[in-house]
Amino acid sequence: MQRHKIVLAEDNSTLSLLLKYRLEKEGFEVLIAADGKSAVELVENHHPDLVLTDIMMPFYSGLEVISHIRNKLKKETPVIVFSSAGQEEMVLKAFSLGANDFMTKPFSPNELIIRVKRLFSV
Amino acid sequence: MNIYQHLLEFFNETPFLIKFAIIVVVVMVITIIVLIISLKMIRSLLNIKDKEILGYKKEYEALVVEYLFSEAQTGELSDKQHSIILKIKEDIKVIPRRKSVITVLSSLMNEVSGEMSDAIQTLYHKTGLISYAKVRLKSKKWHLVAKAIGELRRFKIHEVQDEVSKYINHPRVEVRKEAQLYLVHLFKFKGLNFLDDLELPLSEWHQLQLLEALLNLEDQKICDIKPWLKSANISVVLFALKLVKVYNQFELKDTLVELLSHPEKEVKLYASVVLNKLFGYEVAASLKPNYIN
Repeated sequence: MQRHKIVLAEDNSTLSLLLKYRLEKEGFEVLIAADGKSAVELVENHHPDLVLTDIMMPFYSGLEVISHIRNKLKKETPVIVFSSAGQEEMVLKAFSLGANDFMTKPFSPNELIIRVKRLFSV
Repeated sequence: MNIYQHLLEFFNETPFLIKFAIIVVVVMVITIIVLIISLKMIRSLLNIKDKEILGYKKEYEALVVEYLFSEAQTGELSDKQHSIILKIKEDIKVIPRRKSVITVLSSLMNEVSGEMSDAIQTLYHKTGLISYAKVRLKSKKWHLVAKAIGELRRFKIHEVQDEVSKYINHPRVEVRKEAQLYLVHLFKFKGLNFLDDLELPLSEWHQLQLLEALLNLEDQKICDIKPWLKSANISVVLFALKLVKVYNQFELKDTLVELLSHPEKEVKLYASVVLNKLFGYEVAASLKPNYIN
């Protein structure tokens, strides 16, 4: 069975590593991007089944990543956004751009796994 | 050799002012060259240090992640976790390594919650990082104290409450701000008791930070604000008024009306704003006499 491919865009390298480890343990294939630009490149070249993206990132923000996926690549790839407390407006913008779900930091990696699995099961 | 002698003769024959100018130019050129060389050396030293720190960071990121996923099924620490704790405990005797471990743990503490965050806290305890923070807490350098308090807050270390409480009236704003934030973040509304003993002013920005910390609490059961509305510290009264407004403390109406006669104009004005927000036109009439005075 082919593993689901996930692009994880997060500039906190420790969190990226932790989530990669956790997601791989659940059987997903994870590609890491340390900034928005690399995330866009990974999405274009690897056609992932899911994108997990932080909002605040170097080069392109998470919002720009979503906009690129939806408007330029015209893809319906599910997107889960990570936001911090006080970024409620950004989350609303992310939803209006086409994000499917969001999680506020600090979050539980176990909860993220549940949400990811739920997205794939629908 | 001839050219050198010729130049020397030329220099000796030139008038004093030109000689002086030549000496100044030569000294400046030498200084610039020395500065450029030393800057290059400092830059390469910093680059080496950065690479070293990056190497440490990568090493500890992998180690911490391995620790977090090596938990035994019984919920107790596994052999792997014990060996990681021992390794980190030994490594953190070296300052740059210790800083890297703290950076890695802090960056995770800010991003994850639940069991993972508890596991990071356990690691912080077990590796003995808490002892190093406690030592820095007694440092004579204020910035080390402030950073130590911030670290203890981030890792939710409750047992240093007494030591941290001593700093609520520290002459350096950075230290007392960290101490006050520590108390509120860790002890919620009970932590606000520092307001009873606060002698120095709370800046507007710091008041907002405290409010933000309180608003992020899961348990929003507020404590008794009334004593702070009668504080001799004006900034405490203003902060208490903000609490009354945010937490809709209708039962404090009488105290708020009393504040309309407060000697401080700022308190009077803010009390009127709070009264208007909570009770609307009902107290508008009682405001008028105080404004006339």
